[in-house]
Amino acid sequence: MAKKTYDLLFKLLLIGDSGVGKTCILFRFSDDAFTSTFISTIGIDFKIKTVELRGKKIKLQIWDTAGQERFHTITTSYYRGAMGIMLVYDITNEKSFENIVKWLRNIDEHANEDVEKMILGNKCDMTDKRVVNKERGEAIAREHGIRFMETSAKSNINIERAFCELAEAILDKTSGKEAAENPERVVIDRRNNDKAPGYSKCCA
Amino acid sequence: MSIFKARVKEFDDALAQDVVDLKELRRLTFNGVPDVQSFRALGWKLLLGYLGPTRSSWTTTLSQKRALYKQFIEELVLPPGHSCNGAGDADGDGDGDAEVAVESRGVGLQDHPLSEGPESAWNTFFNDNEFLLQIDKDVRRLCPDISFFQQPTEYPCDIVVHSRGEHGRRLHERVVPTVLSSANVERKGLGMTKINLITKRSVETYAAMEEGQEAHWEVVQRILFIYAKLNPGQGYVQGMNEIVGPIYYVMASDPDLSYRAHAEADCFFCFTALMSEIRDFFIKTLDDAEGGIKYMMARLSNMLKTKDIDIYEHLKSQELHPQYYSFRWLTLLLSQEFPLPDVLRIWDSVFSDEQRFDFLIKICCSMILIQREAILENDFASNVKLLQNYPPMDINVVITHAVSLA
Repeated sequence: MAKKTYDLLFKLLLIGDSGVGKTCILFRFSDDAFTSTFISTIGIDFKIKTVELRGKKIKLQIWDTAGQERFHTITTSYYRGAMGIMLVYDITNEKSFENIVKWLRNIDEHANEDVEKMILGNKCDMTDKRVVNKERGEAIAREHGIRFMETSAKSNINIERAFCELAEAILDKTSGKEAAENPERVVIDRRNNDKAPGYSKCCA
Repeated sequence: MSIFKARVKEFDDALAQDVVDLKELRRLTFNGVPDVQSFRALGWKLLLGYLGPTRSSWTTTLSQKRALYKQFIEELVLPPGHSCNGAGDADGDGDGDAEVAVESRGVGLQDHPLSEGPESAWNTFFNDNEFLLQIDKDVRRLCPDISFFQQPTEYPCDIVVHSRGEHGRRLHERVVPTVLSSANVERKGLGMTKINLITKRSVETYAAMEEGQEAHWEVVQRILFIYAKLNPGQGYVQGMNEIVGPIYYVMASDPDLSYRAHAEADCFFCFTALMSEIRDFFIKTLDDAEGGIKYMMARLSNMLKTKDIDIYEHLKSQELHPQYYSFRWLTLLLSQEFPLPDVLRIWDSVFSDEQRFDFLIKICCSMILIQREAILENDFASNVKLLQNYPPMDINVVITHAVSLA
């Protein structure tokens, strides 16, 4: 058995319609590379990346799922164990945005109640093909009280930031729990601290 | 005589019989088909049941099936109200448009592209676009490690690639997202108006071809589309592209050009035959049924348990469920786990298996057993990685191991 080289393990899940770029986002984050020629994900795929947040080594175990309906019985069984879920749509594909509501319902049905969620509008580099403007993404996120970001796996925009913010949100919760268990420890709650300056430091 | 030459001769003899001895063909193919002549393309047609063993029946079967497929294209692919007399005067200079409209298949004057009537051929035409969009995404990412599918076919489908001024004969044309392009208009007095289009074209590797040509992925797209149209209860499911890909590759690289010219139709029927055996893997509601994918995964798991209880227990203790890796292995008949030439080799054996898919399960089991040391050593994450990205390996080692499993 490999020796434990991390302090915390966070399980994340990527969901969203087929072809929105889930695999590319994950590949950019884990390997810092981009290729437009990915085979379609069948069932579920998996990557690991360790990041450092607030002095803690956090191992992110990230599951990449197939988007098509057929695979939902296979993929929804992974919702339960996820601590964070990234819901991805494609800003050049109206339908993938409309389906966000459907995916959110899926999360409600299958995931833990306190799972951290984030909506990503991917392919934001493709300005000439955009059909979903940023305001609509922000609006739906606000409506459901979820974080939101536009990303581009191709141009490497906000990919690392998205994962780190999601991880940080989970860390906040975990720390909260720890604090309750060890009342003598002081935990700074960053949740109200809107633009936490943590991004630059994390994932170094 | 070298061993290779001897094998070639065996295939030659077996396939030259008036009535091909399928048992003998299975025995030979099980050990791999030599990459020469039409052995594999012909052998697969026989093993999948597209062609019967009687040689004299082949000509009739082939011409009937190919004519049927052409009819599918005319009825299911071409836009409503098209002109059927395609190939002949494909350079169509627009003569006789009026007659064409009257002759076209059953599209009455009441039907038009904006009709919402349930009987409207146009309505169906647009409804198809939903699954067509999914097919389009997937065929453009088929076997990206080889350039084959991006290359033009030498045998484009005439009635499709000559648009005759009509839009939507090529399936992917129907699902191109429409984008309003903006432009800067410069007006100087009453003179000329200058319009600067500000569009950036992204380079697409799986780009469509010029008029009169089409790429192999466009052909595969049509096969999948027709399959989905003819099997509406199942439709198109992701992964079918990975099943049709290798079959099409074999048919479209047949050294016998008289066969290669009909790769599309032949592939369609071989694919349909294979799908009739594995279609349950693709149907969600049959997951738990016998023949469904969960049942297959359980069979693999049980075999592993009897062959090597240590690995089985180790994976179980790590909560590394079989669906993390074997769902894809089995659904796609291993087509995503190995490079294409190895996939062809695996499928030689799988198609020769009379108890279809017993041997597939053995191969999968061997893949795990071969990695025994690593698996017992690894933690959960490394094991998932190992099994989801199976390391490069001589495929014959895997197959020999699988054969050794009683």
